[in-house]
Amino acid sequence: MSSAFTRPPAYSGVWHPDAIEEIQEKAELGRYQIRGQATKRHDLPSFDDLVFTPAGLSRMPLEGYRERCDTKVVIGEGRVSRPLVLERPIMIAGMSFGALSINAKRALGIAASNCGISTCTGEGGMHPEEREHSDKLVMQYLPSRYGMNPYDLQKADMIEIGAGQGAKPGSGGVLLGLKMSEEVARMRDLPPGVDQRSGCRHPDWMGADDLYMKLEQIREVTNYAVPISIKVGASRIANDVRIACKADVDAIVFDGMEGGTAASPTIQLDHAGIPTIAAIAEAVEALHDMGKQDDIKLIVGGGIKSGADAAKAIALGADVIYLGTAPMIALNCHRPIYLDDYERLGTTPYECQHCHTGLCPVGITTQLPKLMARLDVAEGAERVTNYLNAMTMEIQLFARSCGKNKVADLDPNDMRALTQDVALMTGIPMVGLNGRQPWWTKF
Amino acid sequence: MANVETLTLDCRDKPTRDINNAIRKAADDGVKTVEILNTRARHNIGVGILKPIHLIYRGHVGYYTVGLCDGVTAEIHGSAGWGVGDNLLAGEVVVEGNAATSAGPSIRGGRIVVKGNGGPRCGVYLKSGDLIIGGDAGYMSGFMMQNGRLIICGDAAKGLGDSMYQGQIWLGGKVEEMGSGVAETEPEAGELDAVLEMLDGYKIKPPKAFRKLESDRSLWNFNKNDFAAWKDVL
Ligand SMILES: Cc1cc2nc3c(=O)[nH]c(=O)nc-3n(C[C@H](O)[C@H](O)[C@H](O)COP(=O)(O)O)c2cc1C
Ligand code: SF4
Repeated sequence: MSSAFTRPPAYSGVWHPDAIEEIQEKAELGRYQIRGQATKRHDLPSFDDLVFTPAGLSRMPLEGYRERCDTKVVIGEGRVSRPLVLERPIMIAGMSFGALSINAKRALGIAASNCGISTCTGEGGMHPEEREHSDKLVMQYLPSRYGMNPYDLQKADMIEIGAGQGAKPGSGGVLLGLKMSEEVARMRDLPPGVDQRSGCRHPDWMGADDLYMKLEQIREVTNYAVPISIKVGASRIANDVRIACKADVDAIVFDGMEGGTAASPTIQLDHAGIPTIAAIAEAVEALHDMGKQDDIKLIVGGGIKSGADAAKAIALGADVIYLGTAPMIALNCHRPIYLDDYERLGTTPYECQHCHTGLCPVGITTQLPKLMARLDVAEGAERVTNYLNAMTMEIQLFARSCGKNKVADLDPNDMRALTQDVALMTGIPMVGLNGRQPWWTKF
Repeated sequence: MANVETLTLDCRDKPTRDINNAIRKAADDGVKTVEILNTRARHNIGVGILKPIHLIYRGHVGYYTVGLCDGVTAEIHGSAGWGVGDNLLAGEVVVEGNAATSAGPSIRGGRIVVKGNGGPRCGVYLKSGDLIIGGDAGYMSGFMMQNGRLIICGDAAKGLGDSMYQGQIWLGGKVEEMGSGVAETEPEAGELDAVLEMLDGYKIKPPKAFRKLESDRSLWNFNKNDFAAWKDVL
């Protein structure tokens, strides 16, 4: 029997079960909650609020499954002697060895190499196996400087100066004791088993002018060969983009508040930073304000799941998509296998987010050999390769259907907004208005 | 240029890149010493040098002097800007004057000696090696230090050794306020002598006495009963 009336839940909207559970957990732990993966919010503006408006009579599409549609992006072209060539507009995001198991690092490296794209060390230094498995490897230069040395900088294909991430803008990395294995600790010059809380501020530069000097130092060390990007969590993004332009970076990386993490305070996941879609709009405008849109690439992450999300981000002005969580899911994160272990963690597949514990049931975010062995490198690499191939095809599908023979040619005019919020944020016209005032306002 | 013992390099009118390339080439050619003139507090002079060579800076230097280097020794006859010896792997840098903020940040080996005073955050993220401050050190010196020795002959400002994981701080003077998670410990046999011997080697007058400070390890792992310490550092 259906009824038009649905009774509201009997519990309070203020003292919602989640709020009660949270208070009781804090009463037990004496600290804020920490979790992995991403914000649990359901109310953020989404790429689903945009749709493409492909060709019809007024514009010709390209043959969907045949005609060439270029996906290449070059970072630092004409600026450094060894620019980073990405065969697709995708990068695997910086995820540390420590946060991820070495098997996960190997699998991601192989998959990225198969697809002609890059991986990134994340915090904690460059693991030799990661260099070996990744044809193109970006090295992060972070406040903590774990494992930092000039030799590895010279081995990298791009340097990414980390100044924040979307999951916890304004704070540093967290790696809890169980993941601080002998090897991870050695690479970071830390005692095994400590709860590592990294600094969030670089030890030796602060403002925009210092950043320029820091950039010069790294360019000197790497002989002006490879591009240098700077990564921030999207919050004060327009001003951050302006400062990065002034420092003359080759690329700007940011992820919105949806961005993934291996461990962050939950309050920061849910209450800090701005959503990816809003951040792209602000960043692209700032880049144009600075007149740098042709020189400096925008690398954008934070909750990007599919070729549709990716193509929309590109149409809004991103040059490259930065993927962290999605390739982990391709590696089997949340897969309903080893159910007993999910249960032991007090969770289930799809709800897990227990990456911070170091007890990942599927061997991705753990340093325990028994769990790590559950991730088969060859199989994992194949799954991630398949996923990246599918995503690339999806991006091309939209580009071709919009009549573009280059993915990079997707632009805001190729889309319409389904919701007023997103229309307002991005400037993309609402559907039904044909990009102008309603027809009846003419009369 | 083989067999040249000392090369003189005038920084005037030379781009930073040319200066560093000239130093690298000198090191490749087996030159023992490069004397650098007209430094005029310029930044990034002598960075990314990975072969042994001795650098003599005649004058003040700017940011990141001898940064990201390995096996380089240097004398700076003047004062140094931010981050002197940044991330040094091995070698030695002696600053005759003062050092600005973050002297020896995140060094992973070697030794940095500042004969004058150090600014804030001396030895921040120190990972290995020694940092000696002949005079006073600014606030948050030894912040999040991971290992190595930070030796301060004079006084230290607030937050000394805050959140240090490991390593030793030797303090000659007073401290304005100790950082979280730091405790005074008894020196082990020979430790103090080694410190004094090191100072003697640089003709730095030692203080009357030294206190040895180390991590009390209370911040290694979260413990709700230590909340007073953690509330400042979490
Ligand atoms: C397991 C994991 C580890 C991460 N480690 C780092 C890191 O070391 N440094 C960093 O800047 N960002 C780190 N991030 C953030 C990613 O680089 C990236 O910004 C984010 O994952 C993008 O959002 P997405 O996960 O929704 O794709 C990590 C993310 C994950 C999921
Ligand atoms: S399955 Fe592993 S990687 Fe996925 S959310 Fe759970 S702990 Fe994290």
